[in-house]
Amino acid sequence: MLQKREKVLLLRTFQGRTLRIVREHYLRPCVPCHSPLCPQPAACSHDGKLLSSDVTHYVIPDWKVVQDYLEILEFPELKGIIFMQTACQAVQHQRGRRQYNKLRNLLKDARHDCILFANEFQQCCYLPRERGESMEKWQTRSIYNAAVWYYHHCQDRMPIVMVTEDEEAIQQYGSETEGVFVITFKGILNVNKHRAQIEAFVRLQGASSKDSDLVSDILIHGMKARNRSIHGDVVVVELLPKNEWKGRTVALCENDCDDKASGESPSEPMPTGRVVGILQKNWRDYVVTFPSKEEVQSQGKNAQKILVTPWDYRIPKIRISTQQAETLQDFRVVVRIDSWESTSVYPNGHFVRVLGRIGDLEGEIATILVENSISVIPFSEAQMCEMPVNTPESPWKVSPEEEQKRKDLRKSHLVFSIDPKGCEDVDDTLSVRTLNNGNLELGVHIADVTHFVAPNSYIDIEARTRATTYYLADRRYDMLPSVLSADLCSLLGGVDRYAVSIMWELDKASYEIKKVWYGRTIIRSAYKLFYEAAQELLDGNLSVVDDIPEFKDLDEKSRQAKLEELVWAIGKLTDIARHVRAKRDGCGALELEGVEVCVQLDDKKNIHDLIPKQPLEVHETVAECMILANHWVAKKIWESFPHQALLRQHPPPHQEFFSELRECAKAKGFFIDTRSNKTLADSLDNANDPHDPIVNRLLRSMATQAMSNALYFSTGSCAEEEFHHYGLALDKYTHFTSPIRRYSDIVVHRLLMAAISKDKKMEIKGNLFSNKDLEELCRHINNRNQAAQHSQKQSTELFQCMYFKDKDPATEERCISDGVIYSIRTNGVLLFIPRFGIKGAAYLKNKDGLVISCGPDSCSEWKPGSLQRFQNKITSTTTDGESVTFHLFDHVTVRISIQASRCHSDTIRLEIISNKPYKIPNTELIHQSSPLLKSELVKEVTKSVEEAQLAQEVKVNIIQEEYQEYRQTKGRSLYTLLEEIRDLALLDVSNNYGI
Amino acid sequence: MAGLELLSDQGYRVDGRRAGELRKIQARMGVFAQADGSAYIEQGNTKALAVVYGPHEIRGSRARALPDRALVNCQYSSATFSTGERKRRPHGDRKSCEMGLQLRQTFEAAILTQLHPRSQIDIYVLQADGGTYAACVNAATLAVLDAGIPMRDFVCACSAGFVDGTALADLSHVEEAAGGPQLALALLPASGQIALLEMDARLHEDHLERVLEAAAQAARDVHTLLDRVVRQHVREASILLGD
Repeated sequence: MLQKREKVLLLRTFQGRTLRIVREHYLRPCVPCHSPLCPQPAACSHDGKLLSSDVTHYVIPDWKVVQDYLEILEFPELKGIIFMQTACQAVQHQRGRRQYNKLRNLLKDARHDCILFANEFQQCCYLPRERGESMEKWQTRSIYNAAVWYYHHCQDRMPIVMVTEDEEAIQQYGSETEGVFVITFKGILNVNKHRAQIEAFVRLQGASSKDSDLVSDILIHGMKARNRSIHGDVVVVELLPKNEWKGRTVALCENDCDDKASGESPSEPMPTGRVVGILQKNWRDYVVTFPSKEEVQSQGKNAQKILVTPWDYRIPKIRISTQQAETLQDFRVVVRIDSWESTSVYPNGHFVRVLGRIGDLEGEIATILVENSISVIPFSEAQMCEMPVNTPESPWKVSPEEEQKRKDLRKSHLVFSIDPKGCEDVDDTLSVRTLNNGNLELGVHIADVTHFVAPNSYIDIEARTRATTYYLADRRYDMLPSVLSADLCSLLGGVDRYAVSIMWELDKASYEIKKVWYGRTIIRSAYKLFYEAAQELLDGNLSVVDDIPEFKDLDEKSRQAKLEELVWAIGKLTDIARHVRAKRDGCGALELEGVEVCVQLDDKKNIHDLIPKQPLEVHETVAECMILANHWVAKKIWESFPHQALLRQHPPPHQEFFSELRECAKAKGFFIDTRSNKTLADSLDNANDPHDPIVNRLLRSMATQAMSNALYFSTGSCAEEEFHHYGLALDKYTHFTSPIRRYSDIVVHRLLMAAISKDKKMEIKGNLFSNKDLEELCRHINNRNQAAQHSQKQSTELFQCMYFKDKDPATEERCISDGVIYSIRTNGVLLFIPRFGIKGAAYLKNKDGLVISCGPDSCSEWKPGSLQRFQNKITSTTTDGESVTFHLFDHVTVRISIQASRCHSDTIRLEIISNKPYKIPNTELIHQSSPLLKSELVKEVTKSVEEAQLAQEVKVNIIQEEYQEYRQTKGRSLYTLLEEIRDLALLDVSNNYGI
Repeated sequence: MAGLELLSDQGYRVDGRRAGELRKIQARMGVFAQADGSAYIEQGNTKALAVVYGPHEIRGSRARALPDRALVNCQYSSATFSTGERKRRPHGDRKSCEMGLQLRQTFEAAILTQLHPRSQIDIYVLQADGGTYAACVNAATLAVLDAGIPMRDFVCACSAGFVDGTALADLSHVEEAAGGPQLALALLPASGQIALLEMDARLHEDHLERVLEAAAQAARDVHTLLDRVVRQHVREASILLGD
């Protein structure tokens, strides 16, 4: 009755020889299935425990799942688990005896409803491993095959769910047999910011199921279904049956009136589920506010336990026990969550430290930092000790050994930098010259940060942790100490500096790249130009010469000669850049520049500085040179280290995200072709309303939002096709040109240095990151970049609010402005205010159920009535028959006010006060008024400073500092802007859902 | 890697057998024409070939001849390719000497040697892969039967081991290599007499009974199989003879 099979094993002996061993393998027709549904209990001869009969399905975990999540499978709540022998053996072999014994005990324990099915000894379940088939594949295949057999063995009466993490397996087996489901549901919980109590979404990490193709996120409705998971947790989700699916709410609502909003008609039902397990908790420090005195009293006498409200709407209230509730009630406080009992509505936490007073600038900034997990303690002594000294007493000098090793460009090359005015950290310089053979040589010289920052030194570890320099609205937190960032690594004019250079030899006429050289150099920047001056020189206007300090002390003649040289260089650079740019355009580079500057302005960044900048050509020149350098470095390091190079990818956007953009454009009669980056760019260019330039700006900002964000990655963990950079239309791209403020660039520098020594057949100094470590590092840097953007956005919002806070919305003329409708919801519209770059929601129906109506004088009033929403307009009809309609892209007058909030950040509120534009929607007017506005703003805040000393003093600084700050590194450099734009596209998902 | 689990909690051995189950046995008699008797047996992956010459006059020194009975001469050798590592084992290797000696003892007990005084019976066994002794004995039994030498009974041999309180019948190579106690038993099934019992490792006396019983049961199972083979062979032979 036994069938004999032979199993061939290939073993490796200790001597490294391969040994072929043949082992017998006996199969039998009857293996106990331990199921109460078994049709032939006699044949199966069950002894030991059976699966319980009251379960709805059996679960078969994949070998990988058994290995990695055995702890979860140990929960007694999980019933009807069938462990396949294949999976158990995998545990035994790969996880060792300890883990295997745990599994054995689990199987022996009568309380656990789980059994082992010896699938490899069952003659129908056994699959011999095929030639060349990997162990993993074979195991998955065996388990699936056994699952199918088991299903049929139980006469198809019990659905079986095979749980796996293997994407391929899901694709392959997902739809093969009915009744056997192959699933993995795992995603990150995203709580909707605007309806924190009700809606949360889980973005799946990989999903497939037979009855529905789940491309969208899964809605988790209500706190109960969320099952104590907190925003950011990795959770396992169970899908609810289709008849319990709910739609998301599309109406606008505020945080405090969730329950009302739920009465609104929801949209299409979408996959709804509930959280059944938390795989990884993502608890961090939370900033909270204690309830005010009255609230405490209303909570009753047992006030040892106090519910505190987190600053982040998405986090539930936390219960902490403290005696100091009263003293702490005006402060922002950091707490941590300790536990969350299954019987409790709220989690328990404990008090950690005080950040500052509510409403106080420092306190609020600290709040933003903590909420983004940014730690900005000053550099420690040990870290500073590693820094080179550069004081007037002992100035830093180029060391002779370095002089030997490096190429000296101090005499031979005219090197200069073009940066925003007042910039301190110059990390890139340019040079161009004619070679003896008539060809041109273009050079990009980047500060050699890695010379000063040794791998794994204290400062390196610190920089890696920070990953980037954080720019808040009024301050910045450097990644490297200022002795490096503003001095030794800053390629200032007239001093010797170490650099890493890339030099291309270009054909004199066609500008084709003939040769490229990478290496370490010593340079002395001759001029530190700023953009405006460089542009003037380029345009042939030589009067700016007086503004350039380097020319001051020269006599007329040498000055003339030098000037000519410089003008030639700038002219040549521009020429080359134009050429390179044209080539990239041919490949379909997205024309985002000119546009994106506007988006940048839109994005609440530069509220105090709203001039829609005319981009200078010099910006583009510098940016193009940097892109070229990054591109070539990316190519180089990828060629040298195909599996462990750090590159930057920008994946093409999902087409479905463009649907809103297409809809909006259609309302204005434009067609947006989103099929490729080229067509998108072209159609965006065409979508220009001559009467209203804001339309184009809005469309472009929508396009930006639809795009996915650019990310760092390690080449070893990605297929080569995925390296592509969508926005720049380059096959490989990385970050190389700003090592002072980005850690990724430091890594790239080290890779490039290693690649150079590899070419010279020299030993590679220091060990590079392996693919796995690099992947980990990339994740960290991406995460930090995101935190940096969030904190920047939040701090800007904070300042916006502070600006409007002091103004009385009823009387202040500044608070009334022109707004454009860019999206329509059931009970309101989303507005964009070009003047301040604010985006926000305005209600057409207020809390009392009254709707807006506009009288003949076009002033709005609240009257009873109803709203009707159409594709691209919304009509408000009052009971007396008056009606007013708002179309997409209509201009309206809005009043800006501040909604103060004690526990959270203040928010800007918009209120439509007239359906006519505030001023004539004349672009010129807006544009002209802007610079005016800026100086006004400055003046105004300065004035208020004088009036109220203390708090406002900070604000003056804000404006001045911000002014410099933006100039420094954020400012006009198109190139940096360009880079940020990519990242901007990430905008909160919840944002889109919420409003 | 954790040590191999010889017997799982569900009662399966590494190769999928249960504790008392034998490996697959296939046997054939009369594989060589020039020998007086020959047999080939496969027990799992263990393959043995036995040939018998005799009874014939004593070859070599006549001094060895026994006055009252026949001399049983056994020789064992294994093929170089038969084990995991390829190794030439010339004659006189310790292991094969011992095996030859054991075989000789076994068959001296089984063959009615007194019927052939002053003569010699040669049993040569070629052997491959684990579970050696038992396979050799079983092959030799068939070969002796094929030669038509009178015996008291079949000699059926089987090994048995002891793991986690359970006796395992018919050990495979993996189980042998794991190093537990291992017992080899040659049985005359009809009478239940033991022709040879051999064990190297230590085993508690309390368990001996059970292991012995397991081995004996396995040997009886082997007997049924061998008996079937012999009958089949005889039937075929008689058909050929036109009986």
